[in-house]
Amino acid sequence: MTGLWYVLGFAVAGASFVFLTIGLAWLISHRTRGSRGKQVPYESGIDTYGDTHGRFGLSFYLYALLFVAFDVEIVFIYIWALNFKVLLMDGLISMAIFIGVLLVGLAYAWRKGVLSWR
Amino acid sequence: MAWNRLTPAGRVLAVLLPVLAIGGALTTALLVAFGGAIAATIGANLPIVRFLVASVVTFLISVPVAFLLIYMEMKIIALMNLRIGPDRIGPAGAVMSVVHGLKVLMKEDYTPPSVDVPVFTLAPVVVYLASFMTLLVIPFAPELTSMGFELGLLYFFAIGGLSVVGLMMAGWSSFNKYSLLGGIRAAAQAISYEIPLTLSVVGIVILTGTLSLPKIVAAQDGSFLDWFIFRQPLAAIIFFIAITAEANRTPFDNAEADQEIVAGFATEYSGMRFGFFFFAEYVNVFIVSALFSAVFLGGSNPPIHIDLNPQILIDLSALGIGLPLIAGIAPVLGTLLFAAPIWFASSRIKGWQALVAGFLIFGGVSTAAVGIWAFVMLPPVASLIWFLIKTFALVFTFVWMRGTLPRARIDQLMGFAWKWLLPASLLNIFATAFAVLIAGR
Repeated sequence: MTGLWYVLGFAVAGASFVFLTIGLAWLISHRTRGSRGKQVPYESGIDTYGDTHGRFGLSFYLYALLFVAFDVEIVFIYIWALNFKVLLMDGLISMAIFIGVLLVGLAYAWRKGVLSWR
Repeated sequence: MAWNRLTPAGRVLAVLLPVLAIGGALTTALLVAFGGAIAATIGANLPIVRFLVASVVTFLISVPVAFLLIYMEMKIIALMNLRIGPDRIGPAGAVMSVVHGLKVLMKEDYTPPSVDVPVFTLAPVVVYLASFMTLLVIPFAPELTSMGFELGLLYFFAIGGLSVVGLMMAGWSSFNKYSLLGGIRAAAQAISYEIPLTLSVVGIVILTGTLSLPKIVAAQDGSFLDWFIFRQPLAAIIFFIAITAEANRTPFDNAEADQEIVAGFATEYSGMRFGFFFFAEYVNVFIVSALFSAVFLGGSNPPIHIDLNPQILIDLSALGIGLPLIAGIAPVLGTLLFAAPIWFASSRIKGWQALVAGFLIFGGVSTAAVGIWAFVMLPPVASLIWFLIKTFALVFTFVWMRGTLPRARIDQLMGFAWKWLLPASLLNIFATAFAVLIAGR
């Protein structure tokens, strides 16, 4: 239970440090409104064109899907690894089956060309 | 008000000096008035005091470490490029990074009108917190760990992974195509390398049967052959590549590739909010190096145990009244001792210059003497020094890589994580499990 308080306390301490520093910088730095040129997004000197949050590369989305599958798997693998010295042969066989199923999924994604950038 | 006529440095002093003066006066007054009550309260609330000390010390570690790393990076890369690098402020430019920090603090912190202000302001906080909170579990020495969680390794990966959220927030809220591309690249890269990173240490979890970082360090006790880098070499290679990508370092710094997408997720940031991204990045480099040295390089264990069995104990209390006399006389005598040869060496050196030089030499010698005494006599100090030597060797490796390696292409980067590192880390898990099974332990 102390661990939780440490984590919460650290979060509060770190966040207050950041906010205090940004506040101090806000107090001592100069501020100007500037011309229109200062207010547009910096895109190498060219006026921004079209919708910023428009269509985006599909590859990123597919990687995120793969990540979710493997990250959930990691949760199980850690628990298995902690108890491996008790489970021994049974544990090895069941984990081989579990990872084998996931590797079939990875092989399918690989075969379909998800892993090569397009 | 003369506020507008002050220089930025003058404004810092005008704010800080009264605050410090009032704070000092109030502290003294409180100590004088309630000293006994405060001591009693501290005795009654030891857990809370321990937490306060741990958080303050952790915070005090993070700030100088970031400054030191920025200086190391500037100076080492400059020397590798046959440049001189920073050389104006402080000896060999050593104070340069502190001045950089102050400069960033005084720069205008501009919020472009098109951004999503709350998310834009929270993003650096999340990125900084993700690296600051992982310092909680770093085992600097067996006695010097803020919190030795039973699930320390898992906590590290969970909190360290949160920095992706901050980078994505920065990229998305900036309403700038470069920022968006940088943020999404950072997220894609971090989640791809997260999987080999977490899977590569599973072999060590099988061998040690624990996720607690102090216990993993303790399992590597003995000579340097017991370090996990020799028992799990494949895992060490995968882990090193993955932490390089997690910390956004060259050759995997596509998220902020200057030549392609300006500054990536930080394009629209300025002033202190920009500063926090890079502060967090340098703290991150230190933290991942510390984790590598704890998990693979034996952490605070020395490479070879030499039992010095020190007998030269100095019992300070036995000196009695002699102690303040020695403390008062030794610096004067030492300064004169070191100043005399300098003064005699050349007639062009003035007396005060010789005295200053003598005082500095005496300071260096006495600090070194106290350091060596502490290293021999106090086990936590020796552990801490071994840990820092290993960590800074790794930090140097990161800087070295930045000085020599070109940036990887984004498709090579993503393909490498999924096609090579992931199967290799799974292979490592099964090889380790099989070895444990055969050895019957």
